[in-house]
This record gives sequence, C-alpha cells and structure tokens, in this order.
Amino acid sequence: MKLPLIGGGRVLAPLEESAFAALMGFFFGGILLVVLGYNPILTYYYMFYGGLGSLSNVTDMLGNAAPLILTALTFAVGVRAGLFNIGAEGQVYVGAGGAIYASYYFLPAGIHLGFALVLAGAAGALMAVPTYLLKAYRGVNEVITTIMLNWTAYFGVLWVAIVLLADPARPEKTISVAPTSRFPDFLLGSVSTSALLFAIAVAAAFYVYLWLTPSGYELRSVGLNPEAARFSGINPRKPLLSALLLGGASAGLAGAVQVAGRTTPFALYTGLSNVLNYGYNGIGVALIGRNHPLGIIVAGLFFGTLQAGFSTVQLYARVPFEIIQVIEGIIIFTVAAPELYRRFRGSLKK
Amino acid sequence: MASPTKELVKTSNLTKTYPDGTHALTGVDFSVTKGEIHGLLGENGAGKTTLSKILSGILKPTSGEIYIKGNLVRMKRPSDALGLGIGMVHQHFALVRPFSAFENIVLGTDLNPTGERAKEAKASIADLAKGVGLQVTLDSPVESLALGAQQRVEILKMLYRNVDILILDEPTSSLTIKETGELFKSLLKLKEEGKCVIFITHKLREVMDFCDSITVLRQGKVTGRISKSEASPITLATMMVGRTVEFELKRSPMTPGEEVFTIDNLTLLDREGKEVVKDLSLKVRRGEIFGIAGVEGNGQTELAEAIAGIRRIAKGSIRLKGTETGGKSSSVIRRHGAGLIPEDRRQMGLILEMNLDENVILGKQRDLQFRGSLTSIAWRKVRQFTSDLMKKFEITAKGPESPARSLSGGNQQKVVVSRELSSDPDFIVAAQPTRGLDVAATEYIRKLLLDSRGGGKAVLLISAELDEILQLSDQIGVMYEGRLIGVGAAETMSRERIGLLMGGIVA
Amino acid sequence: MSLDFSIVGAISVTGLNLMVPIALTAIGEVFGEKAGVVNIGLEGTILTGAWSAVYFSWLAQSPWVGLLGGALTGTFFGALHGYVAIWLKGDQIISGVGINIFALGFVPFAIQAVWGVQGSFAKCSVCGVPEISTPWSPLSYFVPLTIVVAVGFWYLLNRTRYGSITKATGENPEAADAVGINVERVRFLAVMIGATLAGLSGAFLSIDYTGGITKDISAGRGFIALATVVFAGWKPMLALAGGLLFGFAQEVSSFATTLPAIGHTFPSVDYIFSALPYVVTLIVVATAVGRSRFPKALGTPYRRE
Repeated sequence: MKLPLIGGGRVLAPLEESAFAALMGFFFGGILLVVLGYNPILTYYYMFYGGLGSLSNVTDMLGNAAPLILTALTFAVGVRAGLFNIGAEGQVYVGAGGAIYASYYFLPAGIHLGFALVLAGAAGALMAVPTYLLKAYRGVNEVITTIMLNWTAYFGVLWVAIVLLADPARPEKTISVAPTSRFPDFLLGSVSTSALLFAIAVAAAFYVYLWLTPSGYELRSVGLNPEAARFSGINPRKPLLSALLLGGASAGLAGAVQVAGRTTPFALYTGLSNVLNYGYNGIGVALIGRNHPLGIIVAGLFFGTLQAGFSTVQLYARVPFEIIQVIEGIIIFTVAAPELYRRFRGSLKK
Repeated sequence: MASPTKELVKTSNLTKTYPDGTHALTGVDFSVTKGEIHGLLGENGAGKTTLSKILSGILKPTSGEIYIKGNLVRMKRPSDALGLGIGMVHQHFALVRPFSAFENIVLGTDLNPTGERAKEAKASIADLAKGVGLQVTLDSPVESLALGAQQRVEILKMLYRNVDILILDEPTSSLTIKETGELFKSLLKLKEEGKCVIFITHKLREVMDFCDSITVLRQGKVTGRISKSEASPITLATMMVGRTVEFELKRSPMTPGEEVFTIDNLTLLDREGKEVVKDLSLKVRRGEIFGIAGVEGNGQTELAEAIAGIRRIAKGSIRLKGTETGGKSSSVIRRHGAGLIPEDRRQMGLILEMNLDENVILGKQRDLQFRGSLTSIAWRKVRQFTSDLMKKFEITAKGPESPARSLSGGNQQKVVVSRELSSDPDFIVAAQPTRGLDVAATEYIRKLLLDSRGGGKAVLLISAELDEILQLSDQIGVMYEGRLIGVGAAETMSRERIGLLMGGIVA
Repeated sequence: MSLDFSIVGAISVTGLNLMVPIALTAIGEVFGEKAGVVNIGLEGTILTGAWSAVYFSWLAQSPWVGLLGGALTGTFFGALHGYVAIWLKGDQIISGVGINIFALGFVPFAIQAVWGVQGSFAKCSVCGVPEISTPWSPLSYFVPLTIVVAVGFWYLLNRTRYGSITKATGENPEAADAVGINVERVRFLAVMIGATLAGLSGAFLSIDYTGGITKDISAGRGFIALATVVFAGWKPMLALAGGLLFGFAQEVSSFATTLPAIGHTFPSVDYIFSALPYVVTLIVVATAVGRSRFPKALGTPYRRE
C-alpha cells in the first residue's frame, strides 16, 4: 500500500491536498448542518471559539492536541514502516490504566510522573506485541489484529478500572491520579501546557529516531521499498517490531496524558468516556500531518481546536458536538483520493 | 505484389514513444498474410513486445496506422483486438489461476461455465482441441497444469473466440523440448486452416524451422523482412544484433590474478520447483571480467539474486575469496567484499522516494564512517560522501537532497554503481548494468567496469547486450535455459557465434 | 450444575439472531473482496445503516421502508467507497477508515439532531418486524433470510457466468480486461452489493434485534465480519458458519455473565466475557490465515498499461 508522503512532484502538493481535504470536510459538514436545520456559520464560529476564544479555551485546545499528537505518531511510524496500525485506540486505554495504577505507589513528585509515564508507555507497547507476532509469524493483517485488540483492551480496561482501580467513594470513576504524578502546571496555569510540551517532545524524539538513527532509517527504507531494503541486507522484521513497539508506547503515553495532563478529571470515567476515540482521531491527524512529526504537531493543534469546540458547539450553537467527528471523517475520506484534488485543480484551470 | 485482402495485418509507419521519452518503435511497416507463420525476431528491447501489444490493443501507438483485413482500425482496449480477430498469448499467461481450463476459455463470453449449455461447449472445445492437437484436461484448475498445458489453454481461449490472427510472445521460453514440438505441430495445423500466426522469439532455430517469413526488429526499427528460403541463421543473427557504433573503450591486456569468486554446480528453483539455473559453475579472477551473455529470462535474474543472497540455493556452492557466501544475507556478502549492482535499479537498487544522501548509504547505514554522536547517522559526513561521489562519478542532479526519482536513468544507475564501488570491493557483480540507459551513460558505466578490472577487481557481468559483453569481457559464457554454455576466452568468441549460442545453437 | 434445556434453547435462538449481522456483512464482503476490493468501512456502514433504518421507519411509519432505507444507505456508502477505490484509484484502507470515523460522528449527531435525544433513540414505536415464535424466544426472519442469502451468493459465485466474471476481476484483472470484461464496472457493482448487505445488517440490528438505535449498535461487528471473511477463506457458506460461531460467542459471553456462580466469584466478570468474541476472532484468524488463499488482486486498483 502506498500512502501520500512528502517528496516527489510539486513540493506544495501535500500541503495543498491537506488544506483541500480540510475544506471538503467543512463544506460537506456544512451541507449536512444545513440539511438538518442548523446554521453552519454559527456552528463553525463556536467550533473555533471553543478552541481559541479565550485563554482557558486555548489551554483546553492544547490539552486536546497533546493526546492526538501522540496517537498520530503511532499511526505515522506504522505508515513509515509500511503498516496500517490502528491499534492506538486500545493502547490509549491501557496507557491510561497504567498511569493511574502508578498512583498506588508513593513516590516523590517528578519521579512519580516519570514512573507513571514508563508504566503507561510499557503497557501500550505490550499491547502491540500480539500484532507483531501475528503479522511476522502468521501473516495476519495488522488491521484486523489491532481492531480486535482495541475491543479486547476496551473491556479489559473497563474490568481493571472496576476491580483494581475503582474509587471506593465514587463508583463512576477510578481513583484519581496522585498529585505527585500529574503534569506540572507551570504555564498559563494549566497542566495541559506541560502535557502538550511533553507530546511535542515525543514528536521530536520520533523525528530524531526516524531521520537521525540507522534503525529509523531502516524502518523508513522497509516502508518505502521493502525489496530494495532486503537487497541492502535489512531484515524486515526488525523495523516491523520497532514501529509497533514505539507506536504502542506513544499511544500508551497518550492515555497517560489524558488522565494526568488534563485539568479534570485525573481519572478514568465509566465507559472510559474520557479516553475514547483519541486513537481513531489520531489517524486523521497523522494523515493530515502527512505522517511527519512536524506536520502532526500542526495537524494535532488543528484537530485539537476542532475538538475543543465540542462544548461551545453544543451549548451555544446548540448543535450536537459529534459534527466535529463527522467533519474529521470527511477529511480522512478525502485524503484517501489525492486524485480528487488533482481533478479539482484541473477543473479550476479550465 | 500481395493483394491487400491477403494481408491480414498491416502496419504503416507505426511509431511508439513512451511518456518517459523512450522510442520503442520508429516507423515500423509490418505485414502478415493469410495462412502463414510469421516470425518476429529481435533482441531484448528491440520493440517486439511493444509491437505485439499495439497489435493486441493493450498499447496505443503514438502515430501510424494499423490495417486489419484491409480496414484501417483504431483499437482502444484488448477486447477491440479480440473482436477484430486478433488474439494474443502473452509470455506471462493471462489466466485466472484458480479457474478451471474450461472456465478460463469461456470467460467473458456469454456462456455460463456451469450452465446447461456448458456441456455442449465443453464437447465442442474438446473437439476443437483434438482437431489442432491441443489436448488439455478442461476441468482441472489452471494452476495445477504444467506451463505447456496452460499455454494450450490460452491458445484454445483464442481459438474459441474464432481469431484469425494469433500472436504468441516467446511461446517456447517456458516449454520443455517435447512441449515445444507439440506446440509447433498445432501451429502448423492452424496454418493449414488458414489462420496466421505471429511468432515472437529470439530463438533462431525455431524461426528457421517453422516460420514462412521473418521480420527482424532492432532498436525499434525493422532491419529486414525475408522469406524462409532466403534466411540462414548467420544472416538472421547479423540482422538481429547488427553492428552498432563501437565506443572508444580500450581494453588493455591484463594478466588475471588469483581466483576471487567461484560458483560450483549451482542449481536454483523457481516457486513451482522448476529448475531455472541448472548445474552452473564458473570462476572469476582478479583483473578479469567474466561476461554472461544471453537473452533475458534464461536464468540470469535468478543467478544474480542467488549471488546477492536474496534467493535460496537448491544445490551447489558460491564462494567469495574462499568463504562460502551461498545463503548468507546481502549485508554479510557485501562485508566479505562484494559490490552488488542489481538488474532492476528502480526496484532493488534505489529507494526512489528517498534523496541521494539517503540512497548512497543504503546498506551502509551502520558503517562507522557515517556514525555521529551516540549511534546516530551523521548526515554531514554523509553529505560530504554524497558530494564526493557526485563529483567523482559525474552524477548530474540538482543536489544531494533531490529524490532519486527525479534523476535520469543514467544518473540513477551512477548512484547505484558509485555506492557499490565506494566500499572498494574485491568482486563486483553487475546485472544488466546499462539497460535502458542513453549512450553517454552506457559508455560511462562500461568504463567504470573496465576501470575496476584495471584496479584488480574481479567482475561478473550479466548482460543481454551483446555489444557490452564483447566490449568488456575477458571470458564469455552464454546462458540458455538455465545453463551456461559455450564458455571461452573472449578472443575465441565471434559475435555470430554468441548470437547462435543465444539462440540455443551450440555450433 | 446441569444446564436447563430451555436455557440451551434460548441461547441457541439468540445466537442465531446474533449470527445475522456478522454473517450478512461477511457474505457481502466476500463478494466485494472476490472482485478485489477491501472495504474496511463496513463498521461505519452498519452503523449508518442502522440509524437510517430507524430514521426511515420513523419518517414513513413503516419498518419495511426502514429496512429498505438501511440497505440503500449501505449501497450509498459502497458507491462512495467504490468511487474512491476503483475509479479514482485511491487508497482503499484510508477511504474505509474515513467512512468509519464519519459514521462514529454522524450517528450520535443525527440521533440528537432528529430526535433530540443523546446516544440512543429507543422510542421507535414502528420499529420492529414480525418474528418467528419459538418455545424460548422469538427468532428473526432474518435468520432464514441470511441462510438464503448465503446460498444465493454461493450460487452466484460458483454457478453463474456473472460470478465467474466477478472472481476474474479479483484474481487477474488483466486477464478479465483482455477478454472484454469491464473491470471497473464489475468491481463497482460488487462493492455496492457488498455494502448493501452491511447496510441491511445495520437495519436488522436497529429495526429487528433492538427495536431502536444506539450510537454504538454496531459494536465492532463490521470488523468481526472482515475477520470472518478471512477465516471463511472467501466462501459464503463458511462466512455463514463464521457468523454463527461469533454470534454464539457473543451470546454465550453475555449469558455467562448472568450465571450467579460466576458473578459471585469474580466481580464485574461480564466485561471479561464481553471481550471474548474479539479474542475468539483473533485466535480463529490466527489459525486460519496461511491456509486460505485470498484473491490475488485484492486491495490493488486496476490500471491498464
């Protein structure tokens, strides 16, 4: 499977395609709004107001962007290795569970957060191991494996949340993450800022790995041309394992960020409602960001803005907030066919 | 002068230029008359396949006309050709492998292969098959049939559609001797029935034995059209390989040194378990180029893959400087002192989406010379290395950051060759090193190989280009159907003799 | 503890009912994949099909119109996917993911937009179609229908001229093209038909099985159906069997949670049992892949030279 990547052809083409996809998302989302009797302009105004309208809205937006950037990295490092890894969703759950579990230990601030992040990352990476084994030794397509693991993780973490992590005082949530194990709120008075900085640091680490290390180079080689990679002596299983483990760890960290790096609730809620869909939305962020860490940071902020608009869209525009997800779906669908943009350009020229 | 109606197929001034600028055909006038077997002869890249693809509606000509049974036609898709009575049997069969022979034969017609009329159809196909001697078991899945039987299914598929013109692309390349004999018997029967057969091949003997007239192509142009009575293997070989302008390449006399590379009794199998390289042995010494000539598809690809460590070895051994390298991975073989130039530079030699910096370190990404702090790749050192290579090997590109895809074929190949030579290997294997390159790049690459020889390296050259083999080699062998035949010192090998050997005639 | 016969009966009936959505979707996908196109968007197609079935039932005050609406919604998404995957030679996987993410938003959005409720709309008085009464619990007419569909697609693929053509486009599009088959058109039709069955599965879930719509009514069935296709080796009758296996896995897992003995020993064990169908799917696919052969041209757009 070939995915659109940076390089080749016109330099700006990928950027234009991403922008075109975003416009298509707003356009068809707008049509849907009109058909169902809503005012699209008002909706979009509040969508962006929710992300950018005030200082607290901005920190909320940043808090949304952080996990999206991390799950987008999961998908992107997979694509770079020639994989379609959609396992981030389940890895977010186990990562969140791991980060909360760390609060059963008493450790000094700082070290405690580090411990929680290690647990979360390890839990996410562990979730990726079956995908590797089944792909490398049984030839099972990673799409099927990761989806089944996502559901397994969903019910597994629900169980763990109730049996192991439940808050004795409040049955609707797990215990809260210990204050020593939360992200510090040193900027703009919110933990979200440091969570975002952390996500950006992870993105930077992925950049360093992919472009500055031999192992990352081998991963990209296998993803772009497995035959040439093999001819050069690269064993294709190693990059496969790296991509899945690193991706799993990143998604696990996204789970940690959700419970230890958001202003509220520092816990998992019933039905895992506060960690749902970050894995799937990360796919959109990665595609719009062209599977490049830098692009992902920008796209993560964009999707974070959209998602931060959910309460304002619901409250002020009185439009169900899921319209945001609808728009994201249309954007991803448009990305699937670069030909659409080429035809659009062609028709503009005529 | 033949009357126009007798000419079943006629092309006039047919030209095909591919989007990348390759001139596959230039002003080709070609005609075939009713009731003849017509040989279309030429080397790899001479334009045979392009011509046949145009005649069967797969490719559209850039310019020129095609007349079928006297009428000017424009074909848009393969089924148009079929509708006009032209059927093509490709070298790689267009068969649906899990389908039965019968289902393949009737595919796309209005017959339901499992319906009521299927029985009658089966009987009539069986009759048809019997009549022309193309027996197949109609109910077996095609993938379970031998290649010869699969080919018979393909031919029956065309005959079932009542084609008058049958085009066969290298039909004997995958057949056993017995199967070849049977095929020709059938083709002769078809000829008697008034059908015409266009027979594309590089095998001189087959052309001499079975064709009524022959058209020879070279470099996209018709170099001759002669009848069987006028033809002899020597005249055909000359027309086929021609005499191209010799490059100014001096091959200074060298005394070969010690033996560096040895293959003993190597046998390789394809996926179906058929022997594609049979009991092959050779030795290459320092300061010597061993040239393996032969038409592509006679086992050269598989041989090169085995040497490079990406194909399993069934029998025999491959040794480099005394160490067994058969079955080792490419990186190990390179570390033992081999430079590996693959035949398909775009698929195996380069990663086209990556830039030159990234391509020149493919396989060397863990080398100490490119190591930065910790275990990172020091791209600054790589950049220096790329610039040096670009300068030394005259690689024309916008810069080290341009993607390999943006380079011309010649410069792409220079990137591959320079990378492989940069590690100063003792042994170089170069597979089809100048395929598809322009004259200047071809000359440059050949010069590099000669320089390597001069530098005391052992070179194994695998090439379908006769000129290249003759210009460069000290020792020459020809690959034919998986065997290395007629090995001898270059001085003892004439162009005509190699041409005959390439056609399978051991003189 | 001896199992009561009536419990076995009830489990069997519900298991058969739960077979329907997975089997129907899987059979449709077998057909689409036989033509060479993968549709990862089945999950979203089931979900939107379920929603629109309720919507059209509610609008027309007829569950039959709803069923039709659900099926046609599937056709619509099949056409969208086919347009991108076949005519625009786009990426089949990304297109399918786009459809899923769209559906994940669209269904809760539209539930609220149309009925003003969040997450689920259960007060659909007209939702519901006649069912076959059994001594235990009602059996859906969709069960025999699904069996008929499986046999029908087996017949279509193995006993008709059109089935032969469809398989040819998924195995060797060049060969099909060479004998005058319009590869794009055949593939497009196959994808639309396959997605229609997914839409119908959704309609079954909302109109028949549940009698309403919830935003997560599909519950991964589209993906389980994709796995079933692999497990079934691209055979409609085995897809039916796979649907039965997963239907029973779902029913047994939800039944087991109601057993007092288990519930007392392990707290909240129902979650673990809920994960069972997915774990079963993984194990089954892991053992099935390798021996089954997939259509040669699966997932690749066809371009003539």
